[in-house]
Amino acid sequence: MLMDKETTARPDERDVLGISRLGLAVGSGERATPLLAGVTVRVGRGETVGLVGESGSGKSLTARTALGMLPPGARATGRVTVSGVDVLAAGRRTLRDLRRTRVSMIFQDPRASINPVRRIGDYLTEGLRARGVPARAAAGQALDLLDRVGIRDPRAAVRRYPHQFSGGMLQRVVIAGALSTEPELLLADEPTTALDVTTQAEVVGLLRNLQRDHGTGMLFVTHDLDLAAAVCDRVYVMYAGRIVEEAPGASLFAAPAHPYTKALLEASPSVHGDKAAIKAIAGRPRSLAESPSGCSFRDRCPLAGDDCAERVPAHRPHGASATACLRPEQVMP
Amino acid sequence: MTLTIPALRAATAGRRRRRPLGVTLAVAFLALATVTAVLAPVLAPHPPDATSLLNSLAPPGTEGHPLGTDSTGRDVLSRIMYGARLSLLAPLGVVLLSGLLGTAVGLLAARAGGWADAVLSRGMDIVFAFPSLLLAMLVVAVFGPGLTAPICALAVGYTPFVGRVVRSMAIQEGARPYMECYRVMGFGEWSVALRHLLPNMLPVLLAQSALAFGYALVDLAALSYLGLGVRPPDADWGSMIAEARSAILQGEPWSGLLPGLAVILTVVSVNVLGEHLGGAVSGKQRAGT
Amino acid sequence: MTMARSLAAWLGRRALAALVTLLVASILIYGSLRLVPGDPVLAVTGGRRLTPDQIAALRAGYGLDRGLVQGYLEWLGGVLRLDLGTSLTYQSGVTTLLTGRLGVSGLLVAYSAVLAIAFGLAVALVSAVKGGLVDRAASIVAALTTATPTFVAAIGLLALFAVGLGWFPATGAGTGLAGRLWHLTLPAVAMAIAAFGVLARVGNAAFAGELGREHVEVARSRGVSGGAIIRRHVVRNALAPLLTIAGLLVASLFVGTAVVETAFGVDGVGSLLVSSVSRRDFPVVQGIALVAVALFVLVNTLVDLALPFIDPRVTVGGLSR
Repeated sequence: MLMDKETTARPDERDVLGISRLGLAVGSGERATPLLAGVTVRVGRGETVGLVGESGSGKSLTARTALGMLPPGARATGRVTVSGVDVLAAGRRTLRDLRRTRVSMIFQDPRASINPVRRIGDYLTEGLRARGVPARAAAGQALDLLDRVGIRDPRAAVRRYPHQFSGGMLQRVVIAGALSTEPELLLADEPTTALDVTTQAEVVGLLRNLQRDHGTGMLFVTHDLDLAAAVCDRVYVMYAGRIVEEAPGASLFAAPAHPYTKALLEASPSVHGDKAAIKAIAGRPRSLAESPSGCSFRDRCPLAGDDCAERVPAHRPHGASATACLRPEQVMP
Repeated sequence: MTLTIPALRAATAGRRRRRPLGVTLAVAFLALATVTAVLAPVLAPHPPDATSLLNSLAPPGTEGHPLGTDSTGRDVLSRIMYGARLSLLAPLGVVLLSGLLGTAVGLLAARAGGWADAVLSRGMDIVFAFPSLLLAMLVVAVFGPGLTAPICALAVGYTPFVGRVVRSMAIQEGARPYMECYRVMGFGEWSVALRHLLPNMLPVLLAQSALAFGYALVDLAALSYLGLGVRPPDADWGSMIAEARSAILQGEPWSGLLPGLAVILTVVSVNVLGEHLGGAVSGKQRAGT
Repeated sequence: MTMARSLAAWLGRRALAALVTLLVASILIYGSLRLVPGDPVLAVTGGRRLTPDQIAALRAGYGLDRGLVQGYLEWLGGVLRLDLGTSLTYQSGVTTLLTGRLGVSGLLVAYSAVLAIAFGLAVALVSAVKGGLVDRAASIVAALTTATPTFVAAIGLLALFAVGLGWFPATGAGTGLAGRLWHLTLPAVAMAIAAFGVLARVGNAAFAGELGREHVEVARSRGVSGGAIIRRHVVRNALAPLLTIAGLLVASLFVGTAVVETAFGVDGVGSLLVSSVSRRDFPVVQGIALVAVALFVLVNTLVDLALPFIDPRVTVGGLSR
């Protein structure tokens, strides 16, 4: 496998999340299926970082790796650290302690995230009880948490079951649960995708406020480039198991430096610019296993040339971005 | 979500690829059993009722009696081969009858709806409340020992087993757009049901039938074991086991254990086959949605 | 207030449905006697010469001297007073015959149910959690045991443990609790084997299904320990479907006693049923059949009633609890 040259930000010991040259594959030998290659992502303390890509690009997989949750039969290479703890090398006990105290994850579908036969209060105290908080104290904290995420009448709410809540309310409960352990790193995996648009805005706002108050670093995984650009300090764009571009959230719209980023921007209807026609990206998204040699995007890329097939392009700076493209100057906004 | 799912799929695909070995073995065993039953007069080394008191309770491996002899010196292999005839034919009768009855009741309930559906469904619930072996014993009490009445009783007893599935599938399929199409095209309700609904349900019916075959075989053999089923000189595997009771207490269990093994292998085989058919069906439905 | 009332209404409806099922079943059980082709008495006596007095007594015993409806109503009236009629062979009340044997058979069913449920669910859970080779081995064991009928299991156990090794007695029900349990162990195991297989398979599917749910992964992502996840999320959530299956199995064990009690020479309700069927002692057969169906309906109704309390998503009369 060709390796990307590492040019993007070097992992810093103070980072809450440092993923460096992460590779992931299931199976072994001839039948091994690669899922991720050379993924490098870092999240600083209190920073909000977006990880954007189509479904199947490996963004959720990357986020889960930060928790040490690999798919069954998967083998990882590279290095993943959370607050200085080496996740890939960690034993069961270390991982469990890490999950109990330092990292929380919010999943896409709140309705699937909470056990349907247990009460809401139970969900909230579960994480606290796992850290060893006594039952009475945990119950008190649960009320507090619900209040903080804006749920009215927490006393009644803790006694209810998930099916008695709306999706948006449930996602608030999930966020409350994730914050219950006061984590240093929050992994949010499409936290708003299952919600309707108005609720989305509320939930994003809530996440931002809480994160700011606690100084929590957040990795915000989404397929929505606009949302990521609006919310995040920095954004990583992922395609077919690789990071193709890293850019500050603000400059993504103005100056995409990878043809895939540009294509993503053009594929989504925008309220910012004029009413330019929405352009679908030709072809269908690839996974790493089925992508062509060299640049994974070249078979769908309008700028592709013969040189793109030679090797996986290394990340190099272009404007405010770091891009894995050989001709970023031809990528026009 | 994203990539964990293909990974899981790869894992289950591996399991599915291994599965057919069991299915192949099951089909092979059932074919062997069927051939043996049909050709018993040709294949059996001895007449099934040729007694020889001098050669009773011979262990398996005895010359001329590969599976030994029972307490009256009859050849166990030959008796298993002949016993297969009734042991397999009787459950087949149950399955055919209950399949017909269940399909009719299920289709009727689904197409008629309303009151008729409520009464038929409730009726199936009530039949379901009778354990099948109890039903079989009830009719034996009425008609005396034999297999004919229990076959009919079990057919009624297994009707809900088929009828409930047919009913729910007919309601489901009936609601699909293509069924509406046929109706608009002017096909009659029953002709649509017979020509389009039934073929679609056939795999499920076959799967249910295979499982019902196993249950019926066990119930009928149990009845014979209790002395309430086949009458001598006829024999099935259940009655062979009953006849071996005294031999077992004497420490010579083979003439009872071997027909027992035949029952187990047959039931395992039809269960594996039924589950495979059922699994293939649900897989297809999943792919369709 | 309205919730309590709707709960009461729902309970009432479920109880009524169970009663209707029982009533229709009782008509079927009583009516089956009248299906006998020709004169039932002649069929029963099998051509033996009987005095007119004896024939009249038999006719009265079978209730044939009354009309179908009248006879049924009288029988039902008796049933409601716990009088199931008089046995034709034992010359004593069916109720007395049954109550004397229900202790042994009840213990046998309970013993067997405990074995099947405990071992079945334990194997199901371990195989679902461990996966891999353990899972494959367990599924093969489950497939074989599911296909092992009680009477085959009975003779196998008899040959190995009673005759071969001599660890357990071959016949009888024993005296005293310890002796009784010792005597009933082989029969209980014989009955439990098939039920064990079914529970191991169904349980494995249920547990594996729950293990794959996202809320289990979420709990894992929060550092909840493996034991707590299995207890609070996997077992707890699989309880409802498993209770339904277990209820069906336990109810069917009662009729299964017919086979094991015959095989092991235990004098219980099951062996009474078999001997009464072969002697065509209708009042006894009717009585036992009614008890078996009533037990089935009772267990299933109780399970149904328990479900909303186990799974809050199951609604009671349109309102969730």
